[in-house]
Amino acid sequence: MSNKIRFISQDHLITRQNQAEKEFLAAFAEKKPAFEQPLVVPNPYLINPLCALVMFSTKDAVAPTVTIHGKRYERENISHTFKAATDHFLPVLGLYEDFANKVTVSLPDGRSITLTINTEKLPADVCRCLNIQASLDYLQDNIMFLTPAGKNLPTAYDYKGDIRWLLTENTMFDIKRVANGNIITGSSRFCHMPYNATGLIEINLLGKIHKEFRLPGNYHHDHFEMEDGNLLALTQDFTRETVEDMCVLIDRNTGDILKTWDYRKVLPMDVGGSGSQDAHDWFHNNAVWYDKKTNSLTLSGRHQDAVINLDYETGDLNWVIGDPEGWPKELVDKYFFTPVGDLSKFDWQYEQHACVVCPDGDIMCFDNGQYRAKVKEKYIKNQDNFSRGVRYRIDTDKMEIEQVWQYGKERGQEFFSAYICNVEYYAEGHYMIHSGGIGRENGYASDSLGAFLDMEDPKNELRSITVEEKDGVVLYELETEGNFYRAEKLPLYHDGDNLVLGDGALLGSLEVTEEFDTVPDAEEVFELPSSFHNIFIEEDEDRFVFHGKFEKGTLVMLCLENEAESHNYFINTAAVIHLAMCSGAFLEKDDRDVKIHVSKKGLHGIFKIKLIINEKKYQTGVTICCP
Amino acid sequence: MITEITEKEYGALDHAAPKLIEFYSKTCGPCKMLSFVLKDINKHKPDFPIYIIDFDENRELKEQLGVKGFPTMLFFKDGKEISRLEGLKQKPAIIKAIDALL
Repeated sequence: MSNKIRFISQDHLITRQNQAEKEFLAAFAEKKPAFEQPLVVPNPYLINPLCALVMFSTKDAVAPTVTIHGKRYERENISHTFKAATDHFLPVLGLYEDFANKVTVSLPDGRSITLTINTEKLPADVCRCLNIQASLDYLQDNIMFLTPAGKNLPTAYDYKGDIRWLLTENTMFDIKRVANGNIITGSSRFCHMPYNATGLIEINLLGKIHKEFRLPGNYHHDHFEMEDGNLLALTQDFTRETVEDMCVLIDRNTGDILKTWDYRKVLPMDVGGSGSQDAHDWFHNNAVWYDKKTNSLTLSGRHQDAVINLDYETGDLNWVIGDPEGWPKELVDKYFFTPVGDLSKFDWQYEQHACVVCPDGDIMCFDNGQYRAKVKEKYIKNQDNFSRGVRYRIDTDKMEIEQVWQYGKERGQEFFSAYICNVEYYAEGHYMIHSGGIGRENGYASDSLGAFLDMEDPKNELRSITVEEKDGVVLYELETEGNFYRAEKLPLYHDGDNLVLGDGALLGSLEVTEEFDTVPDAEEVFELPSSFHNIFIEEDEDRFVFHGKFEKGTLVMLCLENEAESHNYFINTAAVIHLAMCSGAFLEKDDRDVKIHVSKKGLHGIFKIKLIINEKKYQTGVTICCP
Repeated sequence: MITEITEKEYGALDHAAPKLIEFYSKTCGPCKMLSFVLKDINKHKPDFPIYIIDFDENRELKEQLGVKGFPTMLFFKDGKEISRLEGLKQKPAIIKAIDALL
């Protein structure tokens, strides 16, 4: 292989994890380790360096307890008692990095052993805690999970700001614990710019992927577990001219799409636009919440400054929360609310994220507030602006709205996030407000989204601030480096099965990638492209990703060829302006670097990859196998 | 028939006749690709007039026609713009827009 082309063909992470699990289970079966000499596997599922698996057998079924000792004193210990069994596979979670961790395993008969599990230092670019105000009394056994908004990693911090959990895969967007105790979050597998991944993954906290739910329209931003276990997920149809305007219901067992909601059917696309709207990303759906009481979906559309509510069964529009300026009168009269109560404290939300329906029907969201107006002349600069968590009480009979709580306005630009972020409702008066998209230039709120800031410039900084407030008192505040899409407070262990053995599964399907039906005239040459193009091809089981560098204006086409057929994919080398960049995970520093994902769905056979660059068709020497 | 014209020559066209006007840039990869698509369409519809105009060198005309980027295809009939397509498109979308003029 020439050094001008790099090629990696790797099994899906699920396959590699399945293999790793088979190997440690085989070692366990062979050794049948006794309690006194357990088998310890650090990072058993390859992507969480702060965990281990302790395995041993006992003659009788007993319920062991694992205790991860605190770094400082006993009160910091994290303990969990597992179900009774004779073969024990005990997840050890929450190890400190670069530390000789003491882990005690004890049995009900009084026997115990203390192991030392050493960990390495985490990568240098991990986002560190800068400030934390928290107490063990308040946080108890919870830690704060933050999901990345860039090339940083999903990370969780304890009450001292120590990192106790981290995945080395850049999984993205929402993170929620589901009823069985697992976590569902976005896959790290690139599909489409700016930030669309193949789908959702269901993992445990060891990092084992139980299922990947692939979607033809990919996954972005948010999902929601229904009572029956099925999943709502935000997606789109890439065969259309618009994006981020659909929601689907996914069968939890098969990955099949059971139902689709298309907002184009209920909303005009060319009215009520926020400062970030364009015709392509007209709605920018960044949150979904199902409310059983009203059997409805509440959805946040950043680019219409609107939180909307749809009937779950029919998909019909019920109401819109948002500044009505610029919307047609007939829609305002029918669907919009009139503010009531203390209007001196009332503000509409703008470019909001993460809508939540409270138990009493109130609506909360993170009001990013970018532009904070509907018309250009009234736009507010970010450094004069504020972001906040807000709670509205709505009366859908009178179509009235009252602001009943907010946190953040008083902090001004220091707490301002132009994008991402979330709020959580814990109980009446007890909330989390996560401002994870703070970007500053020279100390002022930047006019650019965090993902676009040049972090090699020392005048720029990215920050994430997570606050918890109870009855008006701030009881928790975490400030970290970097931008983080969402925060979710969780204990490391739960009452269900913390580890279920068995193969993980790849469900659902990717799209058939759109081909280009015209092929430019090009002279085929039997040479590789210049090393300037830095060609890199990553093959996975169900798709491949082509990376290359091209000057703007270059004509580039990727060609898959064998004796019987050819498939051609146009690669856009034009400058693309992104008005939203809720995750910069796939963003390249050099805008000449482009990548294209090609799904193997619909392709059968072995294909040579060739590359048209302007008037020549080059070889790559790479063949792709499509089963 | 594909013909490159300038904004001066645009004024002299028969405006009543159905036509496709494409604004392109030499610095644009999608425009280069579109040139092959249009050549392909021209093989199937050799009598339909396609005019191509350099976006960068004909700024008055692109302002006059409200063209904001490239490639942009404007479909005219009876002196009126009937439809426009922005960005690179495949043959079926362009043929559909042409057929709507005929």
